[in-house]
Order: sequence, then structure tokens, then C-alpha cells
Amino acid sequence: MDYKREGSLTMGRLSGPGKYRLIAVFVSAVMAALLPVALFAGDNGPCIDCHTKTDKLKVQEKAKIDPVTGEIRVVSMLVDEAIFKTTAHGGSDFFCTDCHQDLDGADLTEGHKPNLKPVDCITFCHDDPAEEYLQSSHVKLMKEKNKDVPTCKDCHAGLTYHYTYLGEKSPMDVPRGTDPLHRKITIDACGSCHTDYLNSYRDNAHGQVTALGHTTTDVPVCFDCHGKHTILNSSEAESKVGKERILETCGKCHANVGDSFVKHIEHPQIKNLNYYKTLLTALKKSGGDPEALKKILLNPQTILCIVFVMYVGILAFTFSAFGVHSLLGWFAIVRDERTRKGHADEEHH
Amino acid sequence: MKNTTNYLRFGLFHRFSHFLIIISFFGLVLTGMPLAFRSYGWARWLYEMFGGYPTAGYIHRICALITFFAAFLHFAFLFVCVSVKKQKGYFWGVDSLLIQPRDIFDIIADIKWFMGIGKRPNFDRWIYWEKFEYLSLMWGTLVMAVTGIILWFPAQITKIVPVAVASIIDVPSIALIVHRYEAILAAGFIFSIHFFHTHLLPEKMPVDEAIFTGKITEAEFKHERLIQFNRLEKQKDLESFRVAPSSLFVSFLTRLFAVPILITGLIMVGLMFSALLVWAI
Repeated sequence: MDYKREGSLTMGRLSGPGKYRLIAVFVSAVMAALLPVALFAGDNGPCIDCHTKTDKLKVQEKAKIDPVTGEIRVVSMLVDEAIFKTTAHGGSDFFCTDCHQDLDGADLTEGHKPNLKPVDCITFCHDDPAEEYLQSSHVKLMKEKNKDVPTCKDCHAGLTYHYTYLGEKSPMDVPRGTDPLHRKITIDACGSCHTDYLNSYRDNAHGQVTALGHTTTDVPVCFDCHGKHTILNSSEAESKVGKERILETCGKCHANVGDSFVKHIEHPQIKNLNYYKTLLTALKKSGGDPEALKKILLNPQTILCIVFVMYVGILAFTFSAFGVHSLLGWFAIVRDERTRKGHADEEHH
Repeated sequence: MKNTTNYLRFGLFHRFSHFLIIISFFGLVLTGMPLAFRSYGWARWLYEMFGGYPTAGYIHRICALITFFAAFLHFAFLFVCVSVKKQKGYFWGVDSLLIQPRDIFDIIADIKWFMGIGKRPNFDRWIYWEKFEYLSLMWGTLVMAVTGIILWFPAQITKIVPVAVASIIDVPSIALIVHRYEAILAAGFIFSIHFFHTHLLPEKMPVDEAIFTGKITEAEFKHERLIQFNRLEKQKDLESFRVAPSSLFVSFLTRLFAVPILITGLIMVGLMFSALLVWAI
């Protein structure tokens, strides 16, 4: 995971991403020597000079449109230097222009152009996770159905130190799968698109514990079961939650479980109105055909829904019936006491 | 008031059982309810107060064991009385906690009283709603114990379920849903219906001491259970139930223990009800 240090410390491993970066840094350095007034790589000073001071910045905030959800976020152009230094890209051997490459050599006398190119994480540095990511069902959807899918920065927003999903700057160095804060952020990140899956996860044993703020590794979050970069649809053979590998995936925490254990419904649809709608339509379509009815009713999700609806009914009946009984009993006692008092008063007079 | 004639309504065994149930029930509710109401701030606060995950879970299981112990004591008591001592009247008659034909007439008489078209009915040893409460406690404990054990040992339980069955009937998921909503039913019932039917009645407020001290005054006895009183008097058994009134100190201790617990329960049911309102609105 730690590409930054791998690249800079061990020369022997410099075959992949590190090589390109070294070349980039070298080329930038040569360019910097040629253009003394311009911004050059190897120094964050000119960037930090303006981007930490409100009075020096022409544009303080910019609206960014999320490519997936279409949500508009206001991103501050101010950089908190102290927090930047704690992020994955905040080391002393790393520079603003490494990512914002179109600013390399920019003339700063009039200020730089306002709209930069999106940062390319893959080409020069992070090609390994990118390769895993390119095999995922997300990318397949993008290629086949031209859908907007999350790319690097949609999940790793905290790393860009401008904003995170929680609207706060990430205090962590590298996004580790064992860090509770990052685990918590990923639930919200996945859930921002997969709303139904987030809700159903919250209804299950795992999700109800993480909802209470406990997100260490003893309770699974989305990626523990579905994978990190290579997230595959359960219909794919390689999928961590598919038929082939589900036993191995559950077995990471639940030792010695059998085939029945992995039939567990991790995403119960008991509170999903749309599921009830589809159930009703299916029932209408079946037209009382016993075979079709059997197929609809002998579904584990349907059975869970029936149990849930039954309990809602029991709760509603019990509390309304006994609630009315308690209240009436209460009022009757008060009424009796009043009449008795009334009689006593009359006798007294 | 303390100088009046007093009678024994609950023996030491039943008082101790009720005490065990209080302790375990509150432990279970306070550590379990946060999971059911996970999206509310108070739930997170309460869960953290009991040590969060997994400590709250351990407390929950210890309290479950206390509940199992209380249930075991109850049925052992019943077994000794019925099979060993050959005592009668546990399943039929005025002393039985099972529903009897006369309970139906009692319900009708009570409804008439509520509507103001009849006098307050007189009851025997057990009033019909007390029987409902006892029977729902038995049923609830059974359901919670079975589903709780499934959730405690999901891997072992699913081993005995054939794969063909498990792919249609998801036992742990059903157990989780039943455990959650039966818990809401039980906690809601105890903290509202049970409290308002016994301890928080206008004539008992704040606590019905009988289940803690075991004693009731003659006036209370006649007011609540006149038929039993008259029957015992007629059989000349009344004197055998007569006890010395509880001291002011014991009465104070009872309140010191019971009132905070009643308030805790009322706060819990208030939070649960407010959550329902938030959800509904």
C-alpha cells in the first residue's frame, strides 16, 4: 500500500511507478532551472504561500459536481498545511505539482489558470491498485453500459486533503483497512450510492453494531466481504460473495462454519417498501397458480418479511389493546375516588 | 397505616424470583435496546455506557444466564409442588395462574366498570391481567431464550440445519428479527402496561410494595381481592397469612430500590416511543 516510501527508499523496486515519477521529477527540475520566475517542482513554497492565506487567494471556494451522485460540493481552495503534512501525500519528498501536473512551470505573476485538469492517480504512481480496480464490476458497468461509476477519488476523497465524505479533513496517513475511522468512512462512501444495501446492512447483526460507532476489524464493513479494489458482482465466479468463495469469506471471522451458515441473508429486505411492491406484483401475476405461489413464498427474503410484518401486527395490537385497558383502568380508579370523596364531603356538610 | 393488620401475599421464593427478573431484565434491555434503536444518539450513549462492543454483549449474555436461572428456579418450584408435594390447584381453580372460565366474566365486568355502567368488580387471588402478564412472561422468555441461543451460537446451530432447509429458512436472520421485535414488545409491555397496571396505579403510586415486602394491608386486600379475602375468612385460613407490618425502614429500602428502577424503565419506554414518533413523522 505504501507506494510513496517504496518509490523513494528502495532503488531495486524502482521498475514500476517509481521510475516514471523519478523521470517526472527530473524533467521538472530541469524545467525549473530554465524558468526561474515560474513555479517549479521540488518546492511547495509558492503554492503554500497563497493557498494558506485568504487575502492572497483570488478564488477561495469552488463548486465540484460529483460525477456519480451529481451532488454539488463546495470545496475550499485553502490548504491547512499541518493537516496536509499528515496525509499520504504530505511527505517532504512530495510536491503539489506531482499531482497537479498542468501547473508544472506555470507563470505565477498573474496567478495560475482557474480550472485544472483532474488529477491522474494511475499513470505515474498507483498502477497496481488500478489494475485490480479495472477488473471490478464497477468498471465493467462503465465499459458495457456507460454508467458513471466511482473512480479513485470518489472513495479515497480523504487523501486529497481538500475534503472527505464526512466533510472533515482526514487525519490519517494512508487509508488502511484496519483503521476504524477509514472503515467507518467507507460504509458511508459505499452507502452514498448503494442506499438500499446500506439500509439492509444496518438491519442485520453486523450493521447494527457498526451503526453504534464500533468499526474496528472484529465487525465487518462493506469491503471486508465485498473486497476493496476488485469488487465483483456475486454472480461472477471470482466474487468474494459468490457461491465459490462465500465459505472462505465468512470463514475469515466465523471459524468452522458449514454450508448452511453461508445461506444467511446479510441484506434483509424487511424494511424495503420496493421489495413489498415487487412481492405484490409477483403475487398478482401468479394468478393463484400453486407452483408460482410456492416459488414466491419459499424465498428466504419473503419469509423474513412475513415474520417482520407479523411482529409489527403483534406490537400494534398488544400496545393498542393493553394501552387502552391501562388508561381506562386508571381513569376508572380516579373517577371512583372522586365520587367517594364527593360522598364524604356531602356527609361532612 | 403501618399499624393495620397485614397479610402475606408473596412468599420469599416469589419475591426473590421477581428480584432476579428485575436485575436480569434491566441488564438485558439496557444493553440490547441500543442495537434495536441504533440510529439514535441516546442508543449510542447507552451502549457506550455499558462498555460498547463487545463488553455490552457479554453483560447481555450474563443477564441472559440469570434469566435462564430464574426460569429454571420457577419450573423446579412448580415441579416440586406438583409432582413431589402433590399439591393441587396449580392448573385449575382459584389459585391457578392459567386462564379460567371466570376470567371472561371478570373482563366483561371490568369493561362495564370502565364505561361507568357497573361497579368495580371484585377479584379472586389472581386478576385476569395479572394472568396475561404471567403467561406473556413465560411465552416471552421462551421465545427470547430460543432466539437468543441461536444468535449466540449461529455457527453451531446452522450445522444441524440441512442446506436445503437453510436456503429457504434462514434461521439466524429469523432469530434476529424475532429477538429484536419480541424484545421491543417485552420491554415496552413491562415499562408501560405492567408499570401502569401495578406500581403506578393512582392508589399505589409510586410502587406496589407487595412484591418486595410480600405484605399487603387488610384494606388493600379487601379492596383488590375481596373474593379471596372472604373465601379465606370463611375457610378460617385468613389467620395463617397474617404477618407483622413491615417497618418504615424496609418500606424506605423498597422505595429506594424500586423508584430509580421504575424511572429508568419509564425513560426507556419514553425514548422508544419517541423513536416511533420520529419514524412515523
